[in-house]
Amino acid sequence: MKPKLILAIVAIIGFTSLLMYNFGESISTYTDFEAAKSMSNAHVAGTLDDTKEYGFSMETKLFTFYMKDEAGEVRRVVFPKPKPNNFEQADRLVVIGEMKGDTFYAKDMLMKCPSKYNNADPSQFTSAENS
Amino acid sequence: MIGIIGKVLLSLAFVTGLASAVFYFLSAKNDDNRTLKIGNWIAGVQGLFIIAASVILVYLLFTHQFQYYYVFNYTSLDLANKYIWSAFYGGQEGSFLLWIFFSWLFGLGLMKWTRDPYKAPVLFFLMFTQLFLLSMILGWHFGDITIGASPFRTIAEEMPNAPFIQANPNFIPADGTGLNDLLKSPYMMIHPPILFAGFSMMTIPYCFAMAALWKEKYNEWVGPALPWTLSANVALLSAIFLGGYWAYVTLSFGGFWAWDPVENAALVPWLFGTAGIHTMIIQRKSAIAQKSSILFAILAYVAIVYETFLTRSGILADSSVHSFVDLGLYNQLLIFMLVITGVGFGMFAWRYKKLPTQEKESSILSREFMSFTGAMLLMILGLVIILGTSSPIIGLLFNENPTPPEISFYNNWSMPIAIIMAIFTVLGQYLFWKKYSAESLLADLMYPIIVTSVCTVSSIIFGEVRNVYYMLYLFTGWFAVIGNGWVMIRLMAKKPKLIGGAVSHIGFGALMIGILASSAFNTPMLDKRTEDYNAQVKAGLVKDEQGFKINDPVTMLNLELNKPTIINGKYIATYEGYSIDNQNRPGQQTYKILFEPIDGGKAFYLYPEVYPMLATSTAENVQWSVDPDVHSGWFRDIYLYVAGSSYVTQRNSSIERKAGIQKPTDGEENVPEKQTIKFSKGEVVSVGGFEMNFLNYAMEDTTKLPPRTSIGVRAQIELTQLGSGEKFLLEPLFALYNDDEGKTFVFAPPVELPDFGLSFSFTKVYPETSEIDLEITGLTEEYQDEWVLIVAEHKPFISVVWLGTFLIMIGFGISIFRHWSREKEKI
Repeated sequence: MKPKLILAIVAIIGFTSLLMYNFGESISTYTDFEAAKSMSNAHVAGTLDDTKEYGFSMETKLFTFYMKDEAGEVRRVVFPKPKPNNFEQADRLVVIGEMKGDTFYAKDMLMKCPSKYNNADPSQFTSAENS
Repeated sequence: MIGIIGKVLLSLAFVTGLASAVFYFLSAKNDDNRTLKIGNWIAGVQGLFIIAASVILVYLLFTHQFQYYYVFNYTSLDLANKYIWSAFYGGQEGSFLLWIFFSWLFGLGLMKWTRDPYKAPVLFFLMFTQLFLLSMILGWHFGDITIGASPFRTIAEEMPNAPFIQANPNFIPADGTGLNDLLKSPYMMIHPPILFAGFSMMTIPYCFAMAALWKEKYNEWVGPALPWTLSANVALLSAIFLGGYWAYVTLSFGGFWAWDPVENAALVPWLFGTAGIHTMIIQRKSAIAQKSSILFAILAYVAIVYETFLTRSGILADSSVHSFVDLGLYNQLLIFMLVITGVGFGMFAWRYKKLPTQEKESSILSREFMSFTGAMLLMILGLVIILGTSSPIIGLLFNENPTPPEISFYNNWSMPIAIIMAIFTVLGQYLFWKKYSAESLLADLMYPIIVTSVCTVSSIIFGEVRNVYYMLYLFTGWFAVIGNGWVMIRLMAKKPKLIGGAVSHIGFGALMIGILASSAFNTPMLDKRTEDYNAQVKAGLVKDEQGFKINDPVTMLNLELNKPTIINGKYIATYEGYSIDNQNRPGQQTYKILFEPIDGGKAFYLYPEVYPMLATSTAENVQWSVDPDVHSGWFRDIYLYVAGSSYVTQRNSSIERKAGIQKPTDGEENVPEKQTIKFSKGEVVSVGGFEMNFLNYAMEDTTKLPPRTSIGVRAQIELTQLGSGEKFLLEPLFALYNDDEGKTFVFAPPVELPDFGLSFSFTKVYPETSEIDLEITGLTEEYQDEWVLIVAEHKPFISVVWLGTFLIMIGFGISIFRHWSREKEKI
């Protein structure tokens, strides 16, 4: 084989391994509140528990709500930003951060919003006709 | 009924498309012109079916036929007409239809302009891809198997087991759920058509590559394919720009790019397409790189289909903020992707041995080597982004439930690649127009390098850049701007038609600089108190109520009504109240915030908005959404949105009171019987479940007033009871009269509103500010000062991001003209 070809193969293998290594490092796994206790940068997926109060506090400038994770545990989540647009619309929330005591301190939050696809129930929209 | 016609039309479009593809195939196989003509005629008829189906969908949307699921799901009675067009492609089914329409339209162009031997096979492959798209919206049922989700399906078909359908199969909802408020934007009206035009045009190089492999004509295809590929790239870039700009001015994440899979879905094909343009250009010039041109043409379209699969199959549900939910098309999309990829690479492998190879290697200092390297770098960047976007699939190698990569993954890889690219753009442009040795190239580059260094050092000093990596990045960004600018100026004199490449590369350099300036040097705008607090947070001195250290600085700022606040030591910001608008979005508040630069620049206002999301709000639970405002300038943008306000807080608590959620704590508070509130003209005051708007003064005829009255004026107050929305116009009188001894008295008879136990007196006028005092008796809540909580960001040189993007588009545009005018002569 030509030395250039060997060099190219080595370069490609080197680049690919570095890329894959870095990729593996920068992804994490979805988890629940219980497992998040031992993690520093945990992604917890769940839904908003709207039976409990949630809202933005003017004093602390924190947005606080309760989230139910996929194991069914409900925990208080603190988010240091205003309530995001579409928060209530989201049918799934992912909070990224860490557990401290029984509170999850999120530094980031992703929302899965049915922005393109509303699975609303048409039966709710009968009122105008009936009334 | 009409819906059935729509379905039939789409089915006919599919069948005729299939027939046309068969004729195209036969024509390509036998080099027969007669079958080609038949194929064209059938394809023409097919277009009529596609257009008719689209017209029917538009008709259903405009006539609000909510028995159709698509109409119900994306529109409502109150939707403005222009946004009904947005609703057409607001969902998966409609956007597939739009894509199919464009594919057919560009097919007409190919019929007219493509030459033999490519004509028949190109049209065959275009029809082949179009059939897959059509299959997604057929809505055919064979037993348990369903092919496609029809835009014409009714609610009864969509959810046959729903109780209200079982009770009444002919159920028609009175109103639809409406279009998402965030999509009600002019940018979102034009973004999807441009994007799908881009997707359709990017199919064409793939078709040409397939035709080249089939017919074993590996060189001539790049000529006609180039203008299409360039146009596809301009369309994709315009769509990316519109999407990014929309996100910037509509969403509250404060930027134009978030490496979201849906954004990447348009970027990666653009990168592969651009790589293909590079190799096609050198192939046309030097008859080399045939393999890579074909490969990139395949890759660009495969990337579109792959990203279509990712965003539409529901696989990204967790990682993207706005991907589609699976419509049951998962398998069909998977087959589409596998077939396109398999056919593309299969054809390539089949002809691999016959493909021309380069006899002699290009020297490093040649335009061939440079353009090829540029293409490789673009491809590598595209592959890195695909890897990141594919985390739900490829991440499975690392764990069972992978999250998307951190944003830093994309930034860490794209920055060094951009740095290398920037250097190569200059070397490539120099070598493209002239032959150089290492020494002569360096000598010629001396002046550009000197100018680059001056610009870089100035940016570092004025921008207070401390990071060495950023300095290097800035240097290469400037180098791309200046080096390519040098080439452009030289070319302008001689061959102004050929400056497309240089202009695009200048744009790339500008884009690099703009991205760094606006994101890495983006600063929150805060007052001194918040800055001090953040310094304490940084020092680790602040703890929350549970005793944990607070790590996050505050990025919000509270402004009280008419109380100027100094922010960033650069501006005086004053909140001047808000007005309520029921025109566009009922219940929308527009806040008025004045910014006065301390150094004496021109003052300006920002008008951020807050509005209730009607589609999802209920009487007990109003969901507020924000619409930021941006003050754009050449050197910086100020981006601002309202995170909270006294109005919203009061509305929420009055809603909660009505719903009986909140405990009645108000009674315990000491609400004064009489309150005096100051109003300025046009300002809305909200208190105790009422909204008062001081509209204007009305002069009172003094002859009707008691004698010796010197001034008589009425204030027009529009009072709204928030619960019922009932409005009253109050006109309390303010009069001054003198008694016999010349003493002045105020005469302010109260206006009563007995139903609510309220009375209003107009007790004072402030002539210098036109403000007035109202004394109100009987309010259940104490009036508190109005405030607004804002998030404001200072983004330097975001204008350069747009400038760079436009320059790239202009450069591509110039190249389209150049290549098209050459190709036109050959037809």
